[in-house]
Amino acid sequence: MVERVFQRPADALGEITNHNDAYSIDGLQPTAVCLSDLQGLSDALSEAAKDGLAVAPWGGGTRAAIGNRPARLDRILDLSRLSRIVHYNPADLTATVEAGISVAELQRHLAEQGQFLAIDPPLPDRATVGGTLAVGGSGPTKWQFGHPRDLVLGMKVVQADGTVVSSGGQVVKNVSGYDMARLHVGGLGTLGVIAEVSFKLTPLPQGEATLVAAFDSTTRCLAAGLAVFHSVVTPLALAAYDAAVDERAHVAPVKGHHLLAVRLGGRPLTLQRALRECRSLCHQGGATTVEALGEADAVAAWRKLADFGWDEATAPLMSARASVPPTKLAEIVETIANGDSPAALRCETLCHVGYGTALIHWFADGPEPPTHAIAEVATRARKAVHAVGGRMNIERCPLPVKAGLDMWDQVGEPIAIMRRLKEQYDPGNVLNPGRFVGGI
Amino acid sequence: MTDQNSLITELKAIVGDTYVVHEPDDLIVYEYDGSVDKGLPLAVVLPDSAQDVSLVVNAARTHRAPIVARGAGTGLSGGAVASEGGIVIALTRMTRILEVDVENRIAVVEPGLVNLELSNAVSGHGLYFAPDPSSQKVCTIGGNVAENAGGPHCLAYGVTTNHVLGMEVVLADGSIQWLGDRTRESTGYDLRGVLVGSEGTLAIVTKVILRLLKKPEAVKTLLAVFKELDDASAAVSGIIGAGIVPAALEMMDDLCIEAAEASVHAGYPDGAGAVLLVEVDGLSEAVEEESEEIQRICRQFGPMEIRTATDAGERERLWAGRKGVLGALGRLAPNYYLVDGTIPRTKLVEVLARIKEMSVESGFPIANLLHAGDGNLHPSVLFDERKPGDTKKALEIGGRILELCVEVGGVLSGEHGIGLEKQEYMPLMFSEADMNAMARLKPAFATGDLFNPGKVFPTGASCADVFQAAVSKVGPGAWI
Repeated sequence: MVERVFQRPADALGEITNHNDAYSIDGLQPTAVCLSDLQGLSDALSEAAKDGLAVAPWGGGTRAAIGNRPARLDRILDLSRLSRIVHYNPADLTATVEAGISVAELQRHLAEQGQFLAIDPPLPDRATVGGTLAVGGSGPTKWQFGHPRDLVLGMKVVQADGTVVSSGGQVVKNVSGYDMARLHVGGLGTLGVIAEVSFKLTPLPQGEATLVAAFDSTTRCLAAGLAVFHSVVTPLALAAYDAAVDERAHVAPVKGHHLLAVRLGGRPLTLQRALRECRSLCHQGGATTVEALGEADAVAAWRKLADFGWDEATAPLMSARASVPPTKLAEIVETIANGDSPAALRCETLCHVGYGTALIHWFADGPEPPTHAIAEVATRARKAVHAVGGRMNIERCPLPVKAGLDMWDQVGEPIAIMRRLKEQYDPGNVLNPGRFVGGI
Repeated sequence: MTDQNSLITELKAIVGDTYVVHEPDDLIVYEYDGSVDKGLPLAVVLPDSAQDVSLVVNAARTHRAPIVARGAGTGLSGGAVASEGGIVIALTRMTRILEVDVENRIAVVEPGLVNLELSNAVSGHGLYFAPDPSSQKVCTIGGNVAENAGGPHCLAYGVTTNHVLGMEVVLADGSIQWLGDRTRESTGYDLRGVLVGSEGTLAIVTKVILRLLKKPEAVKTLLAVFKELDDASAAVSGIIGAGIVPAALEMMDDLCIEAAEASVHAGYPDGAGAVLLVEVDGLSEAVEEESEEIQRICRQFGPMEIRTATDAGERERLWAGRKGVLGALGRLAPNYYLVDGTIPRTKLVEVLARIKEMSVESGFPIANLLHAGDGNLHPSVLFDERKPGDTKKALEIGGRILELCVEVGGVLSGEHGIGLEKQEYMPLMFSEADMNAMARLKPAFATGDLFNPGKVFPTGASCADVFQAAVSKVGPGAWI
C-alpha cells in the first residue's frame, strides 16, 4: 500500500535523523512516497506513469550520488519498508527477500543460521538489498564469484507501467527463460524497480582470520596480493590500501606505507595452513610487517574498508571505480595516485586485488579546486585506465563537475541495444531518466 | 535460379564450396541434436571467422531464411534443431584458443572449441575451466554459453554465466560487437549476462572471454551406499546443513544402480537402494577436514558401505558407475525419456516419493539420477516405443514430473534449457506478463526473429504432440 505522499523530505524522516538532505538527488528535491508492499509499489508506478512523473527508486539513500544528474525527477519511491524476508529455508541455502531490507538486517537473520550473503556494500545498516544490486558494484568480499549478480537466482521487478514481472527461480540451478535479473543488477533502476530477490547463500566459515601486511611500495604490495590470488589459498577477501586510507579511517593497528589485508576462513587446520601460506607469501614479497588481527580488529577493519569513501568521516570530494585486468592494478594506481595532478587534490586508493577493482578517492585538503581542474583530474585518470584496457566510472563528485563530465565510461557500440532496451521497458522515460549511460 | 539456389550460391561465395552442405543425404547428420526433435535445414554453413558469420547472417536475412547456430549438437532440449528451410551455422571450424592470459586467469576462445580441450590446454599452468557438463569431451563452449551449461561441479563453482566475462557476437544486422570485456565489472546493462542462456535466439557468439580457475591442491571422492533413498537424501541435507558445499554431490537410485552394476560392474553391494558420490577439493587440510565430517554425517544414516579415493585412477573408478549409468539404462528398456528439472534441496524426499508413486501408478519404471547438491533431478522414464501409445504416455509422465518440480518451488530446467522440448511448459512457471517482458529482449537486440525462431516461448501446441516426432534411443551418445 501507499503509506503517505510527503511534500517535503523532512516530513518523511521520522526514523532517519542523521541524514538532513534525505531524498535529495543532485540537489533536486522531489516528493516522496513510502511503500510497504508490492501492490503499493505497482500502484505508485502506474500512477506516476499516468501522470508522466519521473521517478527514482530509493533504498537507504547511501549511494544516491551515483550516476549523471537526473534529466527530470518528480517523485522518490522509498522502498525501505518493503523489507520482509519472504522465504528462507536454511537447508536450501537460498532466501527470497523484499528489496528494501537492509543488508545488515538480512545478514543478521542469516548469521543466526550460520549463513551469509556474499555481498558487502558500504553502510550495510542503511544500504538495502535492492539498492545494492541496482548500483551493482561489489565490496571487498569476493567469496564464491565476486559480483553480486552471480548470487541472484531470481527477481521480481515492477515495470514502469506498474506491471509486476518475475524471472529466474528460487533454486540454485536454472535455465528456464531469459536471465532478466542481469539487466537490473547495475541497471540503476532505469528498466524497472527491483522489488523482490532470491539469492544463493553461503555457509559462514567455521573460523576466520585476517592478516595485514605492510610494504614499502604499491608495486610490492599488489604483487604480494597477486601471489596470494595465484596460490592454493582462496581468501574470502583481499584488499590493498595505502597509508592515507589508514590514517583517515584507522583501518587496523598495523602501520606502513602500503597495506595488504587478507581475510581467510575455514575449519581449524585449514585456517592454520592458509595463514601460514599467506604469511610466507607476504614475507617473500618483501613485507616489512605481517600481523594477524584480533577478532574485533578484523571485523572493524573489513567494515572500514567496505565503508571507505561512503561514510561521513571519510567522504571524499570525488570517487571513481576502475575495473581493470588484475595485473594492471599496480600500474594504474602508480599513474593516478603518484602522477602529476592538475588540481591540488590528494588521491587515496583501495584495491580489490585479484579481481581488478580500484576504488580511487580524491580529497581536497585546502579550498575546493575549480570545477574544470577537478574534471581534468577525472579525465586523466580515465585515460590511464583506458590505456590498460579497463573502464572507470565516477561514483561521486561536486555537482558542477557532473554538468561537464559523463559519470559513466563509454560502452561503445552496444549503446544502441541499451537504448532499445530502455524504449522497450520504459517507453515513457520515467524511470531515473538521464542518470544512466548514454543519457538513458 | 530459384531463391534457394541463389542463397546457396551466396553462401558458397562467402565460405567456399567445401563449407556449405546442402545435398539432402549430407544434411541428415545435421538433422538432430541430442534431443528428440529434428528439422531439415536448407543448408549448413561452416564459417571460419566472425566476418564469415556476419556475411552469412546478412545473406540469410536478405533471403528471409532463419538461422540456427550449432556447436556439437549434444543439447537435450532441441535448441540446435534446424528450422525447416533455414540455415544452420555450424561453428565447429572455429575452435581456436586465441589467447591464454595466465596471470589474469583469462582465456579468449572461439565458440567451436570443445569444453574439455580448454581445460586440457591450460592444465599445464595449473588452471582449468570450471563448467563441466557430462558431455564435456564433445560439447562446445558456444553451446555451453547458449544453454548456460552446468555440470556436476557447478555446485561449488557456478554455471557457465559465472565464468563468461565477455563475448564477441554477430547481431541480426550483421554487425560484430563486443559485449563485456576482460574486466569483472561491467558498465551499462549487463548484455553479456542476458545473452548467456538465451539459447541462440539473440545473437551468434564468435569469441568468448572466459575466467579460468586454479586447480585445487587436493581432491577426494567419497562413495556412500545406502539401503534406502531417504537415507541418502537425509545425508545430503546433513552435509549442506553442516556448512559444507562440496565440489560435487551426486546421487542415484536403485534402478540406476542395477543398470550400472550390469554394465560397468561398479561393485555396489546387493540390495543397494541409493548411491551418493561426494567430491571435496581445495587445500589438503580442507579436503581432510571436510571428508571426515562428511563420513561422520553419512554414518548417522546407516550406510551399507563408504569408500574413499584421492588418486585420480581410484577416483575415476568411483565415478565410473555414475558416468556410465545413462548408457546402461539400455539394459532395462529400449527407450527412455530423460527429464531435467530443479527443486529446492529440501524437497528431495517428497519429490522422489511422488515420482515413485507416478511410476507405480503408470507401470513405467523411472530411474533417478540427481545432481543432489543443487536439487537438479534427472528422472528417466523407461519405455518401449514399439508399444502403441507408450511414447506419448512416457512424455506425459515427464510433463507431470515438471509440473511437480514447479509446484514445490522448483523450475522447468536445471541445465538442459527450454528449446523446443519445454516451450509449452513455460506458462507453468511464468505469467503472460513475465514472458512478454522476456520476449521484448528480441526487439531490443533487433533480432527480427532471425535467430532460432519458434524456440523457448510457447506456441500453443500440446507438449506431447510437439515432442513426439521422434524419441531418444538409449545409447552412449547421450550425456547428463
